[in-house]
Amino acid sequence: MEFDMTKPVPETQPWSEKFWEGTKQGKLLIQVCKDCKSKIFYPRKFCPECWSGNLDWIEASGKAKIFTFSTAYDMVEPKFTDELPYTIAYVDLEEGIRMMTRIIECKPEDIRIDMEVEVVFQERGGYFLPYFRPVGKK
Amino acid sequence: MSKGKIAIIGIGEVPTRNMPERTHWDIIYDTCMEAIKDSGLHKNDIEGAISVTPQAQPKIAAELSFGKLPEELGLKGCKDAVSVNAGGASTSNAIRLAEQWITSGIAKAVLVHHVTVHSTIPIPDLINFFARAGVDLQWEYPYGTTYNIIMGLMANRYMHESDCKPEEMASVVTALRSWAAKDTNSFFYGKEVPSVEKVLASALLNTPLHKRESNVLGDGGSAMVIVSAEDAKKMKRPAAYKLGDSVRYFSGTCVMRDFYKVAEGFVVTAKEAMAQAGITKEDVSLWNCYLAYPLAHPLIAELLEVAPQGMGGKYFLEGRMSFGGDIPWSSIGDAPGRGHTGSGVSTACYVETARQLMGKAGERQVKNCKYVYQNAGGGSGFNNIATIWGKEI
Ligand SMILES: [Zn+2]
Repeated sequence: MEFDMTKPVPETQPWSEKFWEGTKQGKLLIQVCKDCKSKIFYPRKFCPECWSGNLDWIEASGKAKIFTFSTAYDMVEPKFTDELPYTIAYVDLEEGIRMMTRIIECKPEDIRIDMEVEVVFQERGGYFLPYFRPVGKK
Repeated sequence: MSKGKIAIIGIGEVPTRNMPERTHWDIIYDTCMEAIKDSGLHKNDIEGAISVTPQAQPKIAAELSFGKLPEELGLKGCKDAVSVNAGGASTSNAIRLAEQWITSGIAKAVLVHHVTVHSTIPIPDLINFFARAGVDLQWEYPYGTTYNIIMGLMANRYMHESDCKPEEMASVVTALRSWAAKDTNSFFYGKEVPSVEKVLASALLNTPLHKRESNVLGDGGSAMVIVSAEDAKKMKRPAAYKLGDSVRYFSGTCVMRDFYKVAEGFVVTAKEAMAQAGITKEDVSLWNCYLAYPLAHPLIAELLEVAPQGMGGKYFLEGRMSFGGDIPWSSIGDAPGRGHTGSGVSTACYVETARQLMGKAGERQVKNCKYVYQNAGGGSGFNNIATIWGKEI
C-alpha cells in the first residue's frame, strides 16, 4: 500500500502570510481590526465582525492555558506515526484567542486542562508551527 | 415552520456490511425499489429524486449529481433529480428540499436515498479523506489531528467539567451495541455486546478514546419515499409525519467551535422543534440521536434533559438507554452500532425514525412509539439539526 508520507504544511491564504512570516522570527502574531478593535483568529481578508479591511497585527505574549487536549497513541495518518505519541490541544491565549496546537516537552501523563503553557516554534518544510510547552521549561 | 406538511410513507434499506462485490448500483436498486414498494406507490408516481451525496466516492457522486438515477430505475414520472451535500446533515436537507418540491407543487412523491461503498476505496485514500475532511488545512491539519482526536478533545473537556468516568463513557458503546445486536441491518447484528471492561481493555487510540469507542467503516444504503401529509393521511398507510425542524450553525473549523455555544445549540434546537410539534420532552417515545461517536452521548442526554446534569454517563452505565432499558435511545446504535457509512448514517437514522413510527421495527420496536426526536449534524459538527416526527398528524 502506498501512502503519501509528506508532512503537511499550512495551506496559507495571502492574508495569513504575515502570521507565518512572524513565526519565522519567533513571533506569534494576532490580526486586529483597527476599526472595531476585534482580535481576529484565524486571520481573515476582512474583519469578520465589521467587514473592515483596515487590519493590523499585534504580537501575542505567547502565554496560554490548555482548554482541552488529547494524546494520540494510534490510528493517525501514516505520515504522522513516527511522531507518536503526541498531544493535540486547544489553548487559550492571554489575548482571548483559541488555537489548535501540540503540547511538547512534557510527558503526556503530566498534561492537564488549565495547565499554563508558552509558545515555542517548530520548523516543518519552511514553516514554523506554534507549539506550546509548560511554562518555565527551558 | 414545517409542522405537518410531509410524511415518510415508504422505507428501504440493505444491511451494512463490507461487501466489495455489492456495487453502488446494486444498493441503489435494492434500497430504492424496496422503499417505493413499501410506499404502495408505483415507480412512475415518483416525481423527484434526491441523492444524499456519498463522501470520498467521486464516481458515483458525479453519476448521481448528473441525474442518472431516474433513468437507471425507470422512474418515468420523474420531473427532477439532484444531489445534496452537507456531510452528515445532507439527509435533513434532502428532506427539506423534498418538502419544498411537494409544497410548491413540483412533485407529489419524492425519493430520498443514500449509498456508500467504502470497501472498494483504496485504504490510503480513505485515511487521507477522513484526515482532511472537516479539518482546517491551515490551522489544524498540520498538527496531525484526526476525527478521533477532535472527539477526544471534546470528551476530555466534558469529563473534566462533569466528572464523568471512563467506565460511564465506555458504557455508551455497550448501550449502542445492545441495539445493534438486534438490528438485521447493523454491521454488528447478532454479535456479542462488548462489556464496559472489554471496551476499556481495547487499545487507547487517543485519550480518552479506546478502539471500541471509535467507528468501523461499512458499506450500506437506505431510501425513503416522501409525500404530503395530506396524501399520506388519504393513503391510510403507516407513516412518519414531520412535525418540527430547528437548526443552529456553529463553525466549520473545529477549533473555532465554542463548546458552550454548541451545548446551547442542542438545547434550543430541541426546544424549538418540540414547540413546533406542540409536544414536550415527556411526549418523546424515542431519542434517535445521531452523534457519530459514543463519547458525545452522555453530554447530549443531559442537554436534552433526558438525564439530569452530570448524570448522563451514569444513566448509560445503569443500562437505561440500552435495548430493554426505560429510555429508548439511538435504536440503530448510531454509527458505532450500525457501522459507519459516511453521510449515510443519518439517512439510516431517519429511516429508523420512520420505521419505529410505522411500527415496523420488529424486535427493536419501541412500545407505543408516537413521537421521535431525530437530530443530525454535518462535517465534524458544524451544525445541529433537531427534528420531531410523529405517528399521526
Ligand atoms: Zn472590525
